[in-house]
Amino acid sequence: MRKRSITWAGIVLALAVIVGGSALGATGAIGHANRAQVLRETIGAEPPSLDPGLATDTTSANVLLNIMDPLVKLGPAPALKATPGAASSWTMRGATVTLNLRHDVRWTTGKPVTSADYVWSWLRTISPELGADYAYQFFGIKGAEAYNGCDPGKSNCNALRSKVGIKALGKWKLRIQLTSPQAWFPQQLAHNSFLPVNKAAVTKYGSHWTEAKNIVTDGPFKLASWKHDASLTLVKNKKWRGAKHVKLQKVILTIITDASTALNSFQAGHSDVDSTGLNPSDIKSQRKHSYFHLWKALGTYYYGINVKNITNVNQRRAMAFGINRQQIIKYIAQLGQTPARGFTPAGIAGGPTILKNAYFPASAQVSKAKAFLKKVKNPKTNIHLYVNNSPGHSQIATAVQAQWKELGMNVSIKVQEWKQYLQFLGPPPNSDVDVYRLGWIYDYPDAQNGLVLWTCGSGNNNTNWCNKKFDKLVAQGSRTANAAKRYQLYQQAEDLISSAKGDVPLIPIYWYVYSNLIRPYVHGYVINPMDQTDYAKVSVK
Amino acid sequence: MLTFIIRRILWTIPVVLLVILMTFLMMRQIKGNPFRNSERAVPASIQRNLDRKFHLDKPWYEQYAYYVKGVATADLGPSLVQRNQNVNDVIKQHFPVSLKLGAFAMFFAIVVGIPLGILSALKQNTISDYLSMGFVNIGYALPSFFISTLLLYFFAVKWRDVTGLPTNGWGGWRTWILPSIALGLAPLTVFARITRGAMLETLQQDYIRTAKAKGLRWERVVGLHVLRNSLIPTVTAAGPLLGYIITGSFIVESIFGIPGIGKYYVTSVTGRDYSVTMGITVLLSMLIIVANLGVDILYGFLDPRTRDQRS
Repeated sequence: MRKRSITWAGIVLALAVIVGGSALGATGAIGHANRAQVLRETIGAEPPSLDPGLATDTTSANVLLNIMDPLVKLGPAPALKATPGAASSWTMRGATVTLNLRHDVRWTTGKPVTSADYVWSWLRTISPELGADYAYQFFGIKGAEAYNGCDPGKSNCNALRSKVGIKALGKWKLRIQLTSPQAWFPQQLAHNSFLPVNKAAVTKYGSHWTEAKNIVTDGPFKLASWKHDASLTLVKNKKWRGAKHVKLQKVILTIITDASTALNSFQAGHSDVDSTGLNPSDIKSQRKHSYFHLWKALGTYYYGINVKNITNVNQRRAMAFGINRQQIIKYIAQLGQTPARGFTPAGIAGGPTILKNAYFPASAQVSKAKAFLKKVKNPKTNIHLYVNNSPGHSQIATAVQAQWKELGMNVSIKVQEWKQYLQFLGPPPNSDVDVYRLGWIYDYPDAQNGLVLWTCGSGNNNTNWCNKKFDKLVAQGSRTANAAKRYQLYQQAEDLISSAKGDVPLIPIYWYVYSNLIRPYVHGYVINPMDQTDYAKVSVK
Repeated sequence: MLTFIIRRILWTIPVVLLVILMTFLMMRQIKGNPFRNSERAVPASIQRNLDRKFHLDKPWYEQYAYYVKGVATADLGPSLVQRNQNVNDVIKQHFPVSLKLGAFAMFFAIVVGIPLGILSALKQNTISDYLSMGFVNIGYALPSFFISTLLLYFFAVKWRDVTGLPTNGWGGWRTWILPSIALGLAPLTVFARITRGAMLETLQQDYIRTAKAKGLRWERVVGLHVLRNSLIPTVTAAGPLLGYIITGSFIVESIFGIPGIGKYYVTSVTGRDYSVTMGITVLLSMLIIVANLGVDILYGFLDPRTRDQRS
């Protein structure tokens, strides 16, 4: 009997020590508003690269745009006009852009940032040796595409390098020769690809130059530490040109990939902002809180149609009218996305003009859809709908399957893993695909960035739809500096997709939004439609 | 014994070469472009530059030879996705974290699992046996994401004022507790069940009856004869379990926001980061080889007969 009691006591003690032992060290100091101008935010991913030339994702871009001083900053939404940053002013004459640089932008080493830094950095990104995914951001610059396409093993690329239309005119002036007039170019300069890199740091540390101990930056914050896959700490750069207006002393970005853990951390008071994202099951409960915030995004969730398989435009119209966007948003997407009546997001500059004739309904119009279908002699009734393997996409596909069933179509949903899916779709477009899901998030806030997807030669156009008139309108719009005229041309292009006269090579479903959780004591925190947050404007009170 | 160890170490070379070859060929069979992460198609000229930079434009056997040469010089190559890091950096930064987490989980599994198994065997068909085996069966059946979420919800959120445990991270002993328990629970149940089974079998042996008959104290019979002979299957299971714990920590690492290698292992496959997948596979295969070698050496101490056979 005694022996048994001792054994039990031992087990209980062991478990108590292991499980509850931590109570001895409880701090009890969590959950209070942080008033020391320190912002604690959770983010959903590790930035894959903090090299402006190599970064391709919004997480990296967001860190970069706060530790660097971009030439141009985007103004308030919806216009997102280019406003002076490290460039105090600029002129555009035809295809020539001249930028005047500020004299007081300095690297963290104390040296000034000059036009030569930009020339070196941009040529580095364009160079075939770096292998930058986003080198195409520069393809609008004369000679950039040719230089990027050069094989250093087979030819001498230096000649092509010298022909790239980027020139330093003295220390503070930069001249860029574009392939054609591009009205959006100043806004494109706000993209992280156009940030400079410090030549000395890159040369000295090679690919490791982006580590916190090596990196040289020129923005309102400095990268104080980067514990990979764990956290990044930014501290205020007291020597930055606008430092007196920056209130935050420190920004701690903790990487939590699991949405539930990030929410738990927020609820336990360990973070002030949760930008990891919410699990679909948590959206309903979190939306009720005042700390839940929604931000309009420039992006479209759409279904592309293989027009070689579904050849009749009336069938495509029927499919577009048979989808109940409102229901999909309310019950599946849940974040209050906007039903997309056209491809170009309404929130983009010129949106109302461009979408004037876009006519896809928010709720399904089954009778109208059936009327369209009646006009089709032999409609394709067995549809292969491809989506990538994410629960949300499958749920939306299931809803669409049910909605198209009402029109007499049998939809088989095919699900594939993301990378495999992207390769499967093409280019060239896969003939087994009748309908596929994808989305598009804009690189720069001009409708051209989205419309160009549907041009005949675009690598992103897997619909087999090719309309020379559309291509011409997009090209013409791209060259038009006058905004009102440009939007008119974009409108005519958009009409060819989503108006009553349109070919409907794709079915837009909704326009994206971003959501995050922000404690009420955090002020000035804004996510702009390009998914950027300017910490220089944030404070904790 | 020394000859045995040297022979085993030499055998690791062809094993690792084969592991590299198999992983290499399998990775190439999975479709998908490592450089295409989003909807944006990669323009042809950029794709060519990337392929050239990472030697993906060469025939597969040249890539394999190039990789093996790299492994021989301890250079596992650059990451295709984390563009400012090479695989050596990834391993250096994240493997120690997983190793530590794995060691804590293993420690927890051993110090709780083995005594639980012993207790069950010694008290067979009593309430103690039913309770501990009930706990073990439930623990075995519950997946780690469920255990992790439960632990997180109760100990780091609901009762956080009492426990003071954080929800995530890896820095300091408080952050180690919940993930170690979550990860250690499955091997704990394995240890408990194996120990119980082996103990029950040993208790039936003639030499135990003899030991009891000659008047040895019960504690001594258990400590000297039963335990020592029952631990062999447990030790056998420990080697592969160590491998499982380190590779299987993906879910626990994700839920607790721990910067370990398990997470990288899985994301490198989904991201087609060939060099990272290969690097971690090589590392883990070496780890499992070393763990099994350790198990074999331990056998020698637990069972002198195996030692005699080898030398």
